Amino acid sequence: MEEISGEEGSFNCEEASNSVKECIQSVMGEESYRQDSVNQWTAKIVEQALTLLVKQSKSFKYIVSCAVMQKCGAGLHTANSCYWDTTADGSCTVKWENRTMYCVVSVFAVALTS
Amino acid sequence: MEEYNAGEEVSFNADEASVTVKECIEGIIGGLDYNQNKVNQWTASIVEHSLTQLVKQGKPFKFIVNCAIMQKSGAGLHTANSCYWDTATDGSCTVRWENRTMYCVVSVFAVAVTC
Repeated sequence: MEEISGEEGSFNCEEASNSVKECIQSVMGEESYRQDSVNQWTAKIVEQALTLLVKQSKSFKYIVSCAVMQKCGAGLHTANSCYWDTTADGSCTVKWENRTMYCVVSVFAVALTS
Repeated sequence: MEEYNAGEEVSFNADEASVTVKECIEGIIGGLDYNQNKVNQWTASIVEHSLTQLVKQGKPFKFIVNCAIMQKSGAGLHTANSCYWDTATDGSCTVRWENRTMYCVVSVFAVAVTC
């Protein structure tokens, strides 16, 4: 379930999406699916995305999840469900593809109460 | 990253959550073959049902449940998670399940509520 809040102190979904897209593009933009490399790619994407998100706002705990799938006709379906504070927490999902693979990255931001 | 804190009352119990999630998956897609028309309902049911069961346990956590179902056809699927949180109180677990025609990967993230 994607939650989009337009308030100042809330999770900025658009900014997070842009950060994530840049990460994916820089890690895998020109690459073709390679079984030997894909583990490194997913790890790099989640680490870089997390670093960028923390730079944008430290008032959240973050969870970044990334799935990369080879394009060969198989179906892939994902769903998320969250039990949290809908006024303060938020998420966004970025879907990306190139000629040989799909990439789905989800970001979940849980507000820190302090 | 799976975090297991033994002995602490309010830390996330990854083993217990895994068992709960496995039962949910089994209950929803246990005997079934991959079906393009149904798979959206299945992923939605799995995350909702898992979430309900986790919340019923009554622990002071916010939860995020993520489910991916992939048809078995030789394609490679890789997933990774990274979390910026309080490693003493928060935790996650990932359950991988398969049958003859599909893979199912469910991740649960639990973030402690401080109030």
